[in-house]
Amino acid sequence: MKNSNAYTIMYAAILGVVCALLLTATAESTKERIEANKEAEKLKNVLVALKVPTQENASSEQLIEVFNNNVQMEVKGEGLEFYYYKPEGSSEPVAVAVAFEGKGLQARIKGFLALEPDMKTIRGITFYEQAETPGLGGRITEEWFVKQFEKKTIVDADGNPGMEIKPGGAKAGINSVDAITAATMTSDKVEYMLNVVIKKIVEVK
Amino acid sequence: MDEPTTAIVIFFAAIFTNNMLLASFLGMCSFVACSVLISTALGLGTAVTLVLACTTAINYGIYHLILKADAVWLATDLGFLKFIVFIAVIAAFVQFVEMFVERFSPKLYFALGIFLPLITVNCAILGASLLLVINEYNLPQSVGFGFGAGIGWTLAIVLMAGLRQKMRYSDIPEPFKGVPIALMVTGVLAMAFIGFAGMVSI
Amino acid sequence: MADEKKGCMTCGGGMCGGKGIITLKEGAWSNNPLAIQMLGICSALAVTSSLANSLVMGVALIFVCVGSNLFVSLLRAHTPPRIRMIAEVAIIATFVIIFDQILKAYFWEMSKQLGPYVALIITNCIVMGRAEAFALQNPPMLSIVDGFANGIGYAVVLAVIGIIRELFGTGSIMGLWEADWYVGNLIMVSAPGAFIVMGFVVALFNKLKGPDPEENK
Repeated sequence: MKNSNAYTIMYAAILGVVCALLLTATAESTKERIEANKEAEKLKNVLVALKVPTQENASSEQLIEVFNNNVQMEVKGEGLEFYYYKPEGSSEPVAVAVAFEGKGLQARIKGFLALEPDMKTIRGITFYEQAETPGLGGRITEEWFVKQFEKKTIVDADGNPGMEIKPGGAKAGINSVDAITAATMTSDKVEYMLNVVIKKIVEVK
Repeated sequence: MDEPTTAIVIFFAAIFTNNMLLASFLGMCSFVACSVLISTALGLGTAVTLVLACTTAINYGIYHLILKADAVWLATDLGFLKFIVFIAVIAAFVQFVEMFVERFSPKLYFALGIFLPLITVNCAILGASLLLVINEYNLPQSVGFGFGAGIGWTLAIVLMAGLRQKMRYSDIPEPFKGVPIALMVTGVLAMAFIGFAGMVSI
Repeated sequence: MADEKKGCMTCGGGMCGGKGIITLKEGAWSNNPLAIQMLGICSALAVTSSLANSLVMGVALIFVCVGSNLFVSLLRAHTPPRIRMIAEVAIIATFVIIFDQILKAYFWEMSKQLGPYVALIITNCIVMGRAEAFALQNPPMLSIVDGFANGIGYAVVLAVIGIIRELFGTGSIMGLWEADWYVGNLIMVSAPGAFIVMGFVVALFNKLKGPDPEENK
């Protein structure tokens, strides 16, 4: 009887239904949290770049709440997303962040560039998706590299838009930062993707 | 922001810089078991390449037509079912290819046939389908990726088989014989492949 | 379907042989699925760049292995032989998806780091091998013990590799302890280090276990 076609089909159907029910139940019960996590993933990095104060270990829901209370998103030009940081109570934005992405050495790099209201001075920068070589290109997420962008400008002394990432660059000019030793290609690629977005910012501003 | 990576770039990246086996560790089980002879390695590699290229395309279609949250046919998010659907597609496809090859080309069946059942449990196949969802590839990119990943996998296992054939004459310390030395040699191979970094980038 | 079993055996090098009473010790040590039988090495190499990842992956495998062993064993008298394999895959995949969803909901960062490797437990020969070789012939309680033992065996080896790679690669252990003076050895956290450390660990197991005529063919 165990080998009859009818039994086999019955068994398969029942097993399939039971598994599907189990999976649907799990998916339904975790759906909200997963979606909140997915959303917070991006928002968290906007908040970090804009230096919006958040609690340490804040949950995804809390981060979304902070984002909604403080940040406004506006699309300008060709789909360039501007995130304005307006702290609760104030009407003028104190900072604005723009998303950028581009090819890295191994995989795409994504990040946010945050500017002061003058739209020239860099307030902060984050790289939130990268798979560069650990310890070499992967150091773009390290604090020393990210920190040196602060107070730099996205235009050079003559007002031409663009940034430089080069060896010894930290002292060289108001628009240049130090490259990562032994990660020339990552540095070049980050420089390229920043200049692409800077050009767009200057155009639509 | 800039232009999307073309299928051909992904194809080469999957062979060299992002090699399935040496960088993502996918398909290790059959790699260790079947890398003793070059001829076996080549046969398995061919079968893997064929199945990879086809299943990535099929799974891409199923994911985008049915499973995805904003899919073409069903607007419900069935993304959580992707693992089970992908593995079922792979198993079914392998069975189908096996029957097809057996019927129409007995010669090819004898060359490839014994490798086909091995492939269902090869995690490179399922891994490729999952990676194309994670990396959000479009159809040409997916096929380029699947095909390239297969060739890359074949390249790695054939290289390894060549090395292991030579190693039979080496004086290896007893505990290292067999699998451990194979793993270490793979490590050196992986190091060599790191040298390709930057050749193409995706 | 019988062909698939052959495939699994070739891949695992004789894992379907272990009959009789399999104790906790056997699964976790003398017949360790990872270091002795060379099953499921894909994930063992991929996720061990840090100890935290290794531990989560170990827990995932214990969960899936115990769950699938239990259900395969409960259903063993009712499963038609013809669709035995596909039924096992369905049960395993169900548990893997449940674990993946929980991970995504409560440990988002971790699930991003593990990437596709949690899902790849479906094709992990350990789970399939235990279901096929043990749970099909044994009562539920014993199957749970077997699944747990093999899961632990896998998790321990994973943790060992994770500790070695994280310690030598970055000079820290899970952020609990950190050596400031240590300059990270990057090869350890990247792919080649995984292969080489794994090679040493397997060699160590071989050495401790003593010579085995069936190995080293």
